[in-house]
Amino acid sequence: MTAQSDSPLVPLSGKAGIGLRAPHLAEVVASPPAVGWVEVHPENYMGAGPALRALEQVRADLPVSLHGVGLSLGGSDGLSERHLARLAMLVDRLQPVLVSEHLSWSVVEGNYLNDLMPLPYTEESLVLVAGHIDQAQNRLGRRILVENPSSYLRYRHSTIPEPEFLAALVRLTGCGLLCDVNNIYVSGRNLGFDPAGYLAALPAEAIGEFHLAGHHVNPIGEDEILIDDHGSEVAEAVWALHRQALALIGARPTLIEWDCRIPPLGVLIAEAGKADALAALSPKERDDVRAA
Amino acid sequence: MSALRELQCAVGRAVLGRDEASIVEAIHGDGLDPAARLGIYRNHYLFSLTEALKAIYPVVCRLVDERFFDYAARGFIDKAPPREPCLFEYGAAFPNFLAEFPAAAKVIYLPDVARLEWAINAALHAPAEAPIDGSAFAGVAGADYSKLVFRLQPSVGFLASDWPVDRIWQANRPENENVGPLDLDEGGCCLEIRQQDDAVVFRRLEAGDFALRKALAEGQSLEAAAAVVLERDPLFDLPMALRRLMGEGLIVGFRLSSPTPMPEEASPCS
Repeated sequence: MTAQSDSPLVPLSGKAGIGLRAPHLAEVVASPPAVGWVEVHPENYMGAGPALRALEQVRADLPVSLHGVGLSLGGSDGLSERHLARLAMLVDRLQPVLVSEHLSWSVVEGNYLNDLMPLPYTEESLVLVAGHIDQAQNRLGRRILVENPSSYLRYRHSTIPEPEFLAALVRLTGCGLLCDVNNIYVSGRNLGFDPAGYLAALPAEAIGEFHLAGHHVNPIGEDEILIDDHGSEVAEAVWALHRQALALIGARPTLIEWDCRIPPLGVLIAEAGKADALAALSPKERDDVRAA
Repeated sequence: MSALRELQCAVGRAVLGRDEASIVEAIHGDGLDPAARLGIYRNHYLFSLTEALKAIYPVVCRLVDERFFDYAARGFIDKAPPREPCLFEYGAAFPNFLAEFPAAAKVIYLPDVARLEWAINAALHAPAEAPIDGSAFAGVAGADYSKLVFRLQPSVGFLASDWPVDRIWQANRPENENVGPLDLDEGGCCLEIRQQDDAVVFRRLEAGDFALRKALAEGQSLEAAAAVVLERDPLFDLPMALRRLMGEGLIVGFRLSSPTPMPEEASPCS
């Protein structure tokens, strides 16, 4: 087997993409859907079996992006050299159009918590995460995008607002940002901040990708908390926030994520179509949105 | 120790279900109980890993029903948290956990069904290598044949069970609606599991082929593997068995063993 796919890189078009998950893999190989690109979790392709070979076939037809969930950029254990090496091998082999990870941590004392755990936003965390982004970018030989997490809690001793923390990472490491619009909405509701103000505080020029997904509303006692489960269509309130993001930031490669209760492929394609329709609003209409 | 390190260790203990008290003080309630906020991560940890195990062990899940599976999975997850972010690698120790799980002791064949499902999962994520043919051995002197150590397809696995786990597995696939009667007294089986044409297949082997292939897969020399097989069946047709092995594309490489002490005898399939 060659170390790298032979097919030429398919460039990103302006069309929105979809998260490609195992239940749709065979269908997408057999008949590439009319979407701009697909994104996968590299952790699902770090074996060497049929799934990886199928993904290499997809790559001949559609741009592929790698969206990591296991690097633990904010972990005080340090990055796993084994995991980084496996990621580097996939990047080498697939030559993805985008590579991204999260502002979070998931490993402590060697145990993998299988979640994107929130960080306290302090100077200490900033130095640690920036060092790990440098290490990852050097190892992969390319810039990565770092995604804002969805959060269910915040720490008392945090001193830096999250968008400022992300902006500082951009300055320190030259990384880009993945702006997950649903995460901003979910965290804003859960932690009580204004999503529009958050969007405005992000460095627009560093944003290289948008994520959109559904969330679940969970009652907790008399209150409710939003769970970022990627298990439904994008909520109306999140579409509205995305319009604001487009007005403030401009168009970027946009992805529909769907990870649980995965519907037929057509539902994801329709969601991507909605994102395309929003992005196609003329600049004047965008100004109207901004003024509204 | 840094504040961040201390915090992450404490959050980690809470998510793993080992201690929550030491961290709630550091968390903003924002109108809710901080422990409830932390509980969201704990729940997700248990739920998502249980789902990952269910994806690897669907037949075990069906055999014991979903509620029991969730209960067993929780016990396993609390005992053996994942150490790597690739979840298709998580759960290798689940069959042994089930073997020692008192509540599952009555389903006597359950650990072996789990071993079969793990072997299927392992085969699914292994690379497929190009097989070699007879011409590859042209340079090997006849006197050295006994020193040959073969490398088999990385996806190949072997499982011997006292129970007809292959039939139990077939009958309890999630898509099978009607489970026919199973005769547990029909005896055990010796299975070979491998990747073939982008899928995983398994089949029964005769005891001799099983013992030979298992010994070779474990890295024993041809001489040592042959000794294992011939001892239990002096009439075993070794050349024919090797031709079958090669014809099935299972040999992907070889080396000559250095003169080392004889490896331990492989356990033959009873």
